[in-house]
Amino acid sequence: MILTSSNTLENIEKIEYKGLVTGEALIGSNIYKDLFSGVRDVVGGTTSRYEEEIKKARDISLNSMIEKAENLDANAIIGLKISYDNLGGTMGNTILVTAYGTAIKYE
Amino acid sequence: MNNMESKDKKKIIDSIFCIFIGTSVGLIVYGTFLYYNIAIVGWNLGLIFAPLAAGYVETIFANRTIGRNIGAISAFILFIYTTFYSFILKNPTLGFNFITAGAIVVILQAAFPTLINYIFLVVIGGAISNLIKKIKDLFHKIIHRIRHQQFIKWNGPDIEPKPVPNFDEDLSNKRINSLDFFFLTNTDMKTRKHKIVGIYQSYILIERDLKIIHPEPELNEKQCLTNIKEGKDECLIQLAENIKNDGGNGIVDLEMTYNLIGIGGDNIQITARGMGIYVEYYEQ
Repeated sequence: MILTSSNTLENIEKIEYKGLVTGEALIGSNIYKDLFSGVRDVVGGTTSRYEEEIKKARDISLNSMIEKAENLDANAIIGLKISYDNLGGTMGNTILVTAYGTAIKYE
Repeated sequence: MNNMESKDKKKIIDSIFCIFIGTSVGLIVYGTFLYYNIAIVGWNLGLIFAPLAAGYVETIFANRTIGRNIGAISAFILFIYTTFYSFILKNPTLGFNFITAGAIVVILQAAFPTLINYIFLVVIGGAISNLIKKIKDLFHKIIHRIRHQQFIKWNGPDIEPKPVPNFDEDLSNKRINSLDFFFLTNTDMKTRKHKIVGIYQSYILIERDLKIIHPEPELNEKQCLTNIKEGKDECLIQLAENIKNDGGNGIVDLEMTYNLIGIGGDNIQITARGMGIYVEYYEQ
């Protein structure tokens, strides 16, 4: 499966549009983990645990999207967009990771 | 022995002299206040300053002649006299109010400093302290009762958390892609002839669970994610219907955003926007 954020695939003439595919993941239930990450931010360390969680959420959303593309018999996703939105309000402990793109089949 | 007796007599005479001097000065002060009518809301200030002056002068004289304080007896005499003269003899139209009460307290304090200080600090202070303690105890009892009620042991059957239904991703995908509509996140349809219909936008609001402490935080988030996915589908369907109503059959440069809106982030707004198009022919 090819994933690209560009409008089309280079040197590919024949493209069949299969449809829109999306994937979402939500992280941030563990408030203590967030608190410790915040402490490390203040003292200047890297928040590796937090980064791991975000990477895990991104992988979940991408895999969900790829699975849907495969179900549509597509072999590439173009115009890929990934966004990270804070839905925790003032607490800031809930992050929504969304990935979406256009599933295509190229030859 | 005679020497001792004569010393005692001299002390008594000196004490009487001091009291006389103090009383005299007090009377002069009181007379002056009366003569010039130095008063506040009809209350002559001589009633306060005369006993004070009497006690002060008497104490100074006593310290110099006898070598010790004799208890400001002249202040007490002035108090008796001024009270008798002002309240009974002259009978002024003076009512019992806060100022009168305060002045009486000051006069009494000048006449009997130790007793009045004891009453103020020990008796009244102690009474107020005890009253505050009783009120605090009462509040503690009320708070304890309220808290105790919150932790009554539940003897009924176990309460199962409400299960969150799984979101069917396949069904959602089929639903979106069976609308006979082009959802394109890329900015153009290369090799496809199409007309631009216009810019379109649709949005959905999702109510957020603002409970800070949730019995099952993970279930709460699962429910939130399910709501977001359902909202996203509804938003896309609404967008497609809007474009279809205007004669379009697709959208390019589709963008979706998720934002918290309202005071404190009460709702999640899902927005889908892009350029509505009409694809004239579709080349496989």
